[in-house]
Amino acid sequence: MNPEKKIRCLLGMLGTDVHTKGLRTLAQLLRDDGIEVIYLGEHNTVDGMVNAMIQEDADVVGISFSIATYLHYARQLLDAMRARGVGDIPVMVGGLVHPDDHEKLKEIGVSGIFGPGSTTPQILTFIRSVGQPAGA
Amino acid sequence: MDKKVEPGKSSIASAIENVEVKLSRTATWSGIETKASYGPSDVAGTNYERDIGDPGKYPFTRGAYPQMYRSRMWTLRNIVGYGAPEDTRQGIENALKIGTAGINVVLDTPSQEALDPDHPLLTVDVGQEGCSLPTVRDFEILLDGIDVTKQDVAWHSTMMVYPMVVAMAQKQGKDLSLLQGSHMPDHIQLRLAGWSESIVPTGLGHRTTVDCLEYSAKHSPRWALGCPQAYDIRERGAGAAGEIAIGMAIVNQTLRDLQARGTGVDQVAPSMAWVSGSDIDFFEEVAKFRALRRIWARTMKDGFGSQDVRSQRLRIACHTSGRTLVYQQPLNNLSRAAIQTMAALCGGVQSVETCTWDEPICIPTEGARELATRTQQILAHEVGAARVADPLGGSWYVEALTDQVEADALALLAKIESIGLIKAVEDGMVEGLMDEYNLKLKREMDRGERVVVGVNRFIPKEEPVPQRFSFSQAHTEAHMLRFAQLKQQRDQRTLNDRINTLYRVVQQGRDNFHQAMIDALIADATMGEVWGTVRVATGLPYDPFRVLESPFAYSAA
Repeated sequence: MNPEKKIRCLLGMLGTDVHTKGLRTLAQLLRDDGIEVIYLGEHNTVDGMVNAMIQEDADVVGISFSIATYLHYARQLLDAMRARGVGDIPVMVGGLVHPDDHEKLKEIGVSGIFGPGSTTPQILTFIRSVGQPAGA
Repeated sequence: MDKKVEPGKSSIASAIENVEVKLSRTATWSGIETKASYGPSDVAGTNYERDIGDPGKYPFTRGAYPQMYRSRMWTLRNIVGYGAPEDTRQGIENALKIGTAGINVVLDTPSQEALDPDHPLLTVDVGQEGCSLPTVRDFEILLDGIDVTKQDVAWHSTMMVYPMVVAMAQKQGKDLSLLQGSHMPDHIQLRLAGWSESIVPTGLGHRTTVDCLEYSAKHSPRWALGCPQAYDIRERGAGAAGEIAIGMAIVNQTLRDLQARGTGVDQVAPSMAWVSGSDIDFFEEVAKFRALRRIWARTMKDGFGSQDVRSQRLRIACHTSGRTLVYQQPLNNLSRAAIQTMAALCGGVQSVETCTWDEPICIPTEGARELATRTQQILAHEVGAARVADPLGGSWYVEALTDQVEADALALLAKIESIGLIKAVEDGMVEGLMDEYNLKLKREMDRGERVVVGVNRFIPKEEPVPQRFSFSQAHTEAHMLRFAQLKQQRDQRTLNDRINTLYRVVQQGRDNFHQAMIDALIADATMGEVWGTVRVATGLPYDPFRVLESPFAYSAA
């Protein structure tokens, strides 16, 4: 195990959703915990986000939503990731995720769901469990 | 944690602990430390005439009007917007039946960002969180039979809304000097609230705000300008003093730039209203509204040389805080919103939109909307919130807190202005302040130093899954088809001419570009085409997502 190699977590939003407050706060909390954050912010396209995952060699990806568009965008993102050969990178979805949609998100291939009530330790535990960098 | 029974403790002891009420915090929600009690010595430096004054008298600490709600009740607002114009029209009519003053419309996220519904990446966003209104024709459908010079329509949106409404009024041959209604022309706020440089570059955004205020002051003096839109700034990450400081920095920069163009403070300030939040800390919010009016009055009179009392007496449009409402045990949000509404009324605001309890779950359901209306009616008729102006004035605590919020706000304002607002926003200094605020709050919650009921303490064991608002997509689909057809049926030559005129006016950078936008909109240019052209003329890509190219061939002046 190489202690120098940090987990690289890519965070961003898709579509017209502007509510990055939670994601910006999470980015800092993850950095404080020793995770390397690639922060893409808002207004990303699915293709742009997949490009960034590949270029930045992301170990885990987090997308956040305050609008009820997450099923659509999560599906598009996971499809595009598989098409580009990075479908194995775990994806977590956070924000205003309704419990009725948890099953659908899992079917799409989302690995972690952090809706209202999720805690920082839960998110950190998830990232550490799925995001061990290759070769570590 | 609340759920677990600690070893050695009986379940009864744990249950008692779970409902016990304890003091968990001595600082205000924004972080001002408070004492156990206050007395005359805490306000010893206060001069009543100079610092407080009667309601309706300078510096308006106690309220904008002498009789306050006896002479003019606050306006009960209910914001509506979802799907196509037809859907939102139905929602407005339902809201009017429940009891709401006037028409209050919120636009969907693409329209709020001046993006068209046929953007290939964003079709799923159409009709989300508001009404899709990409063309003047859509405004006509929404407002069919409504005379915008007679009926007050409040638009809870910034980008392109004013030129769209003016275009509709000009198309209908209306007298603009009689135009009623309001919108929120503050683009710097958008930049700070997540629109970011990609959608609203700071410089272009600010220029658009100044243009909008100049145009409106000249042509539609009865139109109300919700500037600054400090609500989103507050919600994004600021305390009571931060809301005032960032908002005043925007006001100062805007008024200075208007003065440089020859539009004086008394030509525009009487039309301005502060769009404010009402957060969870009752006394601090009351103090904020009072401190805000005092700072505003002194700034207008001493800073800008205002001679007109209407410029100095600030009107406040308030929306209760959405960020303080939580998903867990959501009916608790009724209590939160009721107290926030009460704070706004004790603070003397001119209009209130009370958030619905289901705000953290979905866009408001009609049942929740009705309860928000009833909340205000209970406060107005039963609680006595409207009876006496500035009911907390003279409380040693509230006066001392008003002074403290004012002092903190002025200190932060000076810090921002020492950098310069535009630079402070462009360089991320202001956003940094917001991040810092949010991080501090989150860390305090994670450590249990700050308690939010249902979130980090008193967590409900089992909760029913909340219902969501839903509506048929049929109108939205028809609306998108209609949009595509309109683009085919337009008079292309007129459209191209007007788009090119707009391009040249913006590119030259000398003149106000609002009339050029309005003329293009009258020729059925879409919101996305007009703003896209403004972007290209200032050297930006037509489409912030960099997928679409401009369909127009621009020719330089």
